[in-house]
Amino acid sequence: MVNNCIKVINGEFGYKKNNRDLQILHTINFEIDNGDFVGVVGLNGNGKSTLLKSLCGLLPVLKGEIFIEGSLISSISNNELAKKIAVVLTEKISGFNLTSFDAVASGQLPYTNIFNKLESHHLKIIEEAIEICGLKSHQHKLLSELSDGLFQKTMVAKSIAQQTRIMLLDEPSAFLDYASKHQLFILLKTLTQQKQKCIMVSSHDLDLILKYCNKILLVKNYSAQMFSVDEAKLQPAFQELTGGYL
Amino acid sequence: MFKNNSIKFLILIVLFFLGCFFSLIFAGSESSQLSLHTFIFWEIRLPKTITAILAGSTLSIAGLILQIIFRNPLAGPYVLGISSGASLFVAVTVLSGTSLGLFNNYFLGKSVVIFSSVLGSVLITLFILFLSKKISSNVILLLIGLMLSQICGAIQGSLEYFADPNSLKSFVMWGMGSLSNTTDSDLLIYLPVSIIFISAVIFFIKPLNAFLLGQNYATNLGVNYSKNRFYLILISSVLTGVTTAFCGPIAFVGIAVPLLSRMLFNTSQQKIHLFSCILIGSTILLFSDVVCHTFSATATLPINMITTFIGAPLVIYLLFKNKQW
Repeated sequence: MVNNCIKVINGEFGYKKNNRDLQILHTINFEIDNGDFVGVVGLNGNGKSTLLKSLCGLLPVLKGEIFIEGSLISSISNNELAKKIAVVLTEKISGFNLTSFDAVASGQLPYTNIFNKLESHHLKIIEEAIEICGLKSHQHKLLSELSDGLFQKTMVAKSIAQQTRIMLLDEPSAFLDYASKHQLFILLKTLTQQKQKCIMVSSHDLDLILKYCNKILLVKNYSAQMFSVDEAKLQPAFQELTGGYL
Repeated sequence: MFKNNSIKFLILIVLFFLGCFFSLIFAGSESSQLSLHTFIFWEIRLPKTITAILAGSTLSIAGLILQIIFRNPLAGPYVLGISSGASLFVAVTVLSGTSLGLFNNYFLGKSVVIFSSVLGSVLITLFILFLSKKISSNVILLLIGLMLSQICGAIQGSLEYFADPNSLKSFVMWGMGSLSNTTDSDLLIYLPVSIIFISAVIFFIKPLNAFLLGQNYATNLGVNYSKNRFYLILISSVLTGVTTAFCGPIAFVGIAVPLLSRMLFNTSQQKIHLFSCILIGSTILLFSDVVCHTFSATATLPINMITTFIGAPLVIYLLFKNKQW
């Protein structure tokens, strides 16, 4: 039980609007262990982003329960949760003199003192994350000057600098070039294998997911089911997703 | 880079003290009589210099906070109509309170004025915040702010129409913005309130830095978004409200100073901007005040004329330079 990184029981997720629940995802049941590299796949608008946002507490749990490392997500304090789950979203950020370095450095924010002072041990982790993601020569550029691909790498580096066991990445490969896509997936796979991290990545690059992930969460008709990669290939929903082209 | 910043800070500090010096020596009434001279120094110039420092710091920090909360570099207490909201509430209180005898007791009267000023700025901020959730365009939000400030101005104008002539003149003068109406006893309230609320911002450095990344990332970094936003809005409203209560609505300092600070210090660390806003804001108001007094020996120009001359072109320049809004 305690080994489960994420466990969802009868989850129902969505948005709250005017105190009414706008349910988007229903009957979600799955569990993910340390060292799992999960690909989240599904057609556009089927709720992949909603699912990832719900798992890290950005959206309310309407019904059911989410356990993070054995404890109920609602019982974990904000700062503790920040040290357990890092997230990469699709939204774009810029302005206020923010550089690539600043964005990566924000990953260490939960570990800094009240004045957000970066000590040498914080800087070491930040520089490591920048190095791993190949951002060294771009780190002093403003976020608005970065290409979409470099921006995505920056946010991935931020999530690595956050030093969490769980990482949730929403379409991190969308704007990357061919080689960078593979490098990103290899990097994530290494993190799951060597540091026993538990990573969920949503993507439309099905070949990458089949090649590198060990589990697939199939999101369809506002529900989701977990399969091993080989099982997933046999599902009609997965074949519908590939359109028979894979 | 770090060394570079220290030099910039050093220059700002020198300018700040130069501003204090000029404001204390040149600006304000002149007299050849020595006894009158000391009186002028202690009773007129010193309170005015302190007021300039306080008004500059409070408005600049309020602007800094608002720009981060709205993630909009064009936000500020004046352009979003928050200063106008504060002054409308003051108008209602002053013009209706005189007849009620509210101002017979000095501290009661002042407290009521400050309270209504803060209330006005809180209400407008909350209203703008509510609208900002429905509107994603920075420019439209800015236009709505300007409209709100026009509406508040219109209501205030019609109230003035019915006001009695005695209270009207001082009120109209106050509405133009002035640093020289603050007395010693005003400072007894103004100084501690400003210092307490400016110091409070130091404890929100971390949330402010996180807020730059937007609500979702800030939450994921362990920052309680709505709680911190609530406190920050309260702080910026009190800072705007208390300054408006004593000096009237002062234009463009709140929007221009954080922009200048960001141009000068190439960093996203808000603790640097916090201190540079205090220095730049007070220096600008100190020099503006000196300019106001040097134009004419007998009369002083309203401070808003000078701040608008500095602030408005800067905003236009930034709109031109950066097309991404």
